[in-house]
Amino acid sequence: MFQNLRLTMAWLHTWFGLVLGFVLMVVFFFGALSVFDREIDRWAIPETRFEPQPMPSFDKVLRPVFESMQPDPGQIELARSRVDGPMATHFPVAKTWGAYTTHRDPVLGVFAGFELPNAKDPDDIIWGTRTIDPRTGKTLPDDQLKIGSQFFYPLHYSLNINWRELGTWIVGFAALVMLVALVSGVIVHRKLFRELFTFRPGKNTQRSVLDLHNLTGVVALPFHFVFAFSGLLIFGGTYFPIGHTQLKPLHDLHEVLESQETGLPHERAGVPGRLASVDAMMAEAQRRWQARGMAGEVGFLTVRHVGDANAYVSIYRAGTDRIALTGEGIHFNAATGEVMREDPPPTVAQHINTFLTGLHLQHFRHWTLRWLYLMGGLLGCVCIATGFLFFVEKRKRQHAAQGLRGARWVDGFAVSAVTGMLVAALAMLVANRLLPADLPGRGDWEQYAFWAAWALALAHGLWRTAPVAQARIAPAWAEQCLAVAVLAVAAVLLNWVTTGDHLGRTLAAGYWPVAGVDLFLLGAAAMAFLAARALRRRSGVPSASAAANAPSRSEAARA
Amino acid sequence: MAAPPVSRLNIAVRIGAAVLGGYAFTWGFIALSVALLFAARMEFHDAETLATIVGLLLFVAAFLWAFAARSVAIVWTVLAGGGALMAGAATLVQRALT
Repeated sequence: MFQNLRLTMAWLHTWFGLVLGFVLMVVFFFGALSVFDREIDRWAIPETRFEPQPMPSFDKVLRPVFESMQPDPGQIELARSRVDGPMATHFPVAKTWGAYTTHRDPVLGVFAGFELPNAKDPDDIIWGTRTIDPRTGKTLPDDQLKIGSQFFYPLHYSLNINWRELGTWIVGFAALVMLVALVSGVIVHRKLFRELFTFRPGKNTQRSVLDLHNLTGVVALPFHFVFAFSGLLIFGGTYFPIGHTQLKPLHDLHEVLESQETGLPHERAGVPGRLASVDAMMAEAQRRWQARGMAGEVGFLTVRHVGDANAYVSIYRAGTDRIALTGEGIHFNAATGEVMREDPPPTVAQHINTFLTGLHLQHFRHWTLRWLYLMGGLLGCVCIATGFLFFVEKRKRQHAAQGLRGARWVDGFAVSAVTGMLVAALAMLVANRLLPADLPGRGDWEQYAFWAAWALALAHGLWRTAPVAQARIAPAWAEQCLAVAVLAVAAVLLNWVTTGDHLGRTLAAGYWPVAGVDLFLLGAAAMAFLAARALRRRSGVPSASAAANAPSRSEAARA
Repeated sequence: MAAPPVSRLNIAVRIGAAVLGGYAFTWGFIALSVALLFAARMEFHDAETLATIVGLLLFVAAFLWAFAARSVAIVWTVLAGGGALMAGAATLVQRALT
């Protein structure tokens, strides 16, 4: 586009990086938090602060739960546009039941998929989900929002914009741009190895910010690339739904062939069938895994064609000890409990797929690696944030001299995307501890607190970045850093006051899910406080260049 | 950035080529690869996985090329035309198989 490749790549990197950077900031930060989603859940729902549990007895615990399930009211609302005529009030046919657990789950999430009567697409399924205490089978209230796994985690991949999966598409585009930014950034800089050892905090802000941008980009380059790429791959079927559209006939043919080969029925028989002891099937599956020299826990189980003569039960081994999520499926005839099929060893393509998706979703047991993931995600945040700062630093003097306001607006949005996002997340944790336990729709109120705090931070950020238009440092950064420090300490104190689980107790008991979140919050508070102090000190000294580029009077009046 | 002025229209057309053309090309590539690999007796979802992996990498390359290339007309022709041709070929392969 320009006269040489480097200029073109620099343009691409700057502008796409800037615009999608705001989305990527959210994706990276809440992705990093999602590494500890289960632990944040424990912090947010004190009733669930107990040890992780294995898959419970199906016959005694899970079956009564599944048999009492119906689709979620929210799902019924969403499905209204997918039916002809009125919406059913009762959903008698369960197509599938399922339960998934990992070595970090004290409570168990279960789901049931029901046939949608009068559906436009006969294969349509409407879902019901529930969270139970696997020790008793007791259902936990829906109002208790799992902030980690039900809010921060979906925010990471869908921005929680569910209308026509719009959020997922935006994140997908941002991930593509992330890959583009990595490649174009490498082409622009070329000297990759040198960037690893270059950080000059003593130089002017523009230079040290760029050093940090390059350093964090390069040091975790493989991490950034693999995560953006595997994230796209996980949602590949959403972004390129070829098997459900253009190649649906081919996919249908494949399903028929597959069910012939595996002997697992593809359709219901339409004749009622019974369900034998699934506990016996789980025991048999575990016996077979042990016989193969790979003893393990049950991670995932499903019942297909529930209540039908064609029903079958699939039991998968938990991937606690390796990267792939689950595997080694063994399938049983639901009525007789006989083994119908053992999954063959994975093909090369399956190996690649389960490796990449498992690497991204990381449900394996490896705490060092888990912390490294968190650090990788936060390094990505630093890389994006310093990208914003560099954009502003590079332009603000020139913009101030010319009376342009671009740098000021970018700084305003950058404050909101960086510290404002932290304020929102922390406000949610504080609200979680302050709202009455029996408040109806408690989880909704926590979400309102999140969005309201973010909106406030945005307003504050746009207001308190006005000095950037005169090439000075915006006070918004220091002020929001202080807000972060205060909110983080408040969250830790409120956890103590409302649950009695202060750090002395959780550390002594070795209860790391809550102790870890508290320690992380305190660490964040300390860093935010130091950052606020450093920013204050700096903004007190007017820089020589700012004085040299003093704005015209009309510009000052407008600001 | 000391770059010579490039018209806004040119930039808009290139962005369109990168996003829409790149998407069309990737779609066509994945569809044709899945159809051909399935015809070569690979399992459907295996074919889908492999085609998507390569397809996504091609998307990134196409995106970069849309800006780096001298002529935006060539970019549009190759990406949109190539995507449509490959998608059409995928449907033909599918017809032969089903």
